[in-house]
Amino acid sequence: MRRVASARTEPMTLFVLVSLLAVVLTAPLPARAAANDQYDHDPIEPANRKLFWFNDKLDTHVLVPVATAWDTITPKALQTSFSDFFINLQTPLVAINNLLQGKPAESASDVGRFVINTGLGFLGFLDPASRMGLKRHEEDFGQTLGRWGVPPGPYIVVPFLGPSDPRDLTGIFFDYPLAIAGLFVSSYVLLGPRLVDIINTRSLFLDEVRKAKEGSLDYYVFVRNAYMQHRKALIEDTTEVPHENEEDLYYQESD
Amino acid sequence: MKKTCTTRSPTSSIAAACAVAIIWAVAPPSGTARAEDSPRVVVQNVTDAVLAVLGDKTLTSDQKRGRIEDIVYANVDFATLSRLVLARNWSRFSDAQREDFTNEFKRHLSVTYGKNVENYRNERVAILGDREEARGDWTVQTKILRGGPDDILVDYRLRRADNRWTIIDFIVEGVSLVSNFRAQFQEIIASGGVDKLLQLLREKNATGEPLKS
Repeated sequence: MRRVASARTEPMTLFVLVSLLAVVLTAPLPARAAANDQYDHDPIEPANRKLFWFNDKLDTHVLVPVATAWDTITPKALQTSFSDFFINLQTPLVAINNLLQGKPAESASDVGRFVINTGLGFLGFLDPASRMGLKRHEEDFGQTLGRWGVPPGPYIVVPFLGPSDPRDLTGIFFDYPLAIAGLFVSSYVLLGPRLVDIINTRSLFLDEVRKAKEGSLDYYVFVRNAYMQHRKALIEDTTEVPHENEEDLYYQESD
Repeated sequence: MKKTCTTRSPTSSIAAACAVAIIWAVAPPSGTARAEDSPRVVVQNVTDAVLAVLGDKTLTSDQKRGRIEDIVYANVDFATLSRLVLARNWSRFSDAQREDFTNEFKRHLSVTYGKNVENYRNERVAILGDREEARGDWTVQTKILRGGPDDILVDYRLRRADNRWTIIDFIVEGVSLVSNFRAQFQEIIASGGVDKLLQLLREKNATGEPLKS
């Protein structure tokens, strides 16, 4: 399969480039950085804001209208099924990353999920594994790098993709060639399902994104801060506020 | 194509933003707590009371909003929340501006949360645990159960003052509300000053549905 080779080499080249970029961009933070400096480290903010604006326009004028139409014609149960199907396809990747993060039990559970949902869940369109108590995990190589101690580096907005940072962007180039579908099917064939995935996923979050926009005073900062905090929580597998942030976040005013 | 809110890929841009938004749709905290209730009991009462209001089919949306607001106001320490959100900028505010800010911020949260009473889909809340923090605050961990694998983790941070525990932060899927608003307000103040922030808050609140303050 020629596809396999090209899918491997191209991202690897990109990976090297991105890694270099990561090293260059990851300027060390000041020693006494406050919690929010950590989550809002954004040295190229003017450029990021422009890209964010571009992504937002694309979202508002292209993706949202399509997703809204999809949402109107597609029964909720079917939307969930599509979502389950695409999430199931990613499960082997989740299992690999859990293994790389030294969590063999979670990894085994992911393998179980994949087998059960693919076999009993009609190729993953249903999610019987969740009902059997095998929890859905959210892992990727960006998180694995974080677990290994790689800092996120500065915030970057990637055209078409959205919020990221050098570490997470590097992670994408690792995950992509490992994604199961890409190993067996040409990327042209995948374009259709991929579009369905994107549109369907977006259709499940129409209200939430609208509310997030309404509820924030600076939507750009809202997304940046939420992205960085959420990624940190995903890496640590805990919602606990990191101790070094606790002082700054909750006690500083009394100093 | 921009990919928003997927829960599985690193490109999943604003999953957290979504999580924050979803909690508005589901469970604004509240409940009238008795003086000596433990943090866990406070959160239990608050979530029970809110779910009872949300599930009450005899109430109109406006009535629901009003009641939830009462519960929230009784259990969230908006004065502390405001100070924490403004952090170092607090000292740049005059007394009048501080009062102004606290009221507008409270109203902003109320308008934002209040809009979502109609989105209630029989979600339940489970209390997962609680723990004491290093300097005496208390965190109560909860999970909003949505009848699928997409549950939402919400932690409440409480502080004891005047012999009772009140809520001073909400941490949704690891995203602290205090940290998030602080970041936004910091940038607005840095670029436009205190007045700019107050003006933006007022404008935002005017376009929403102002409830009683």
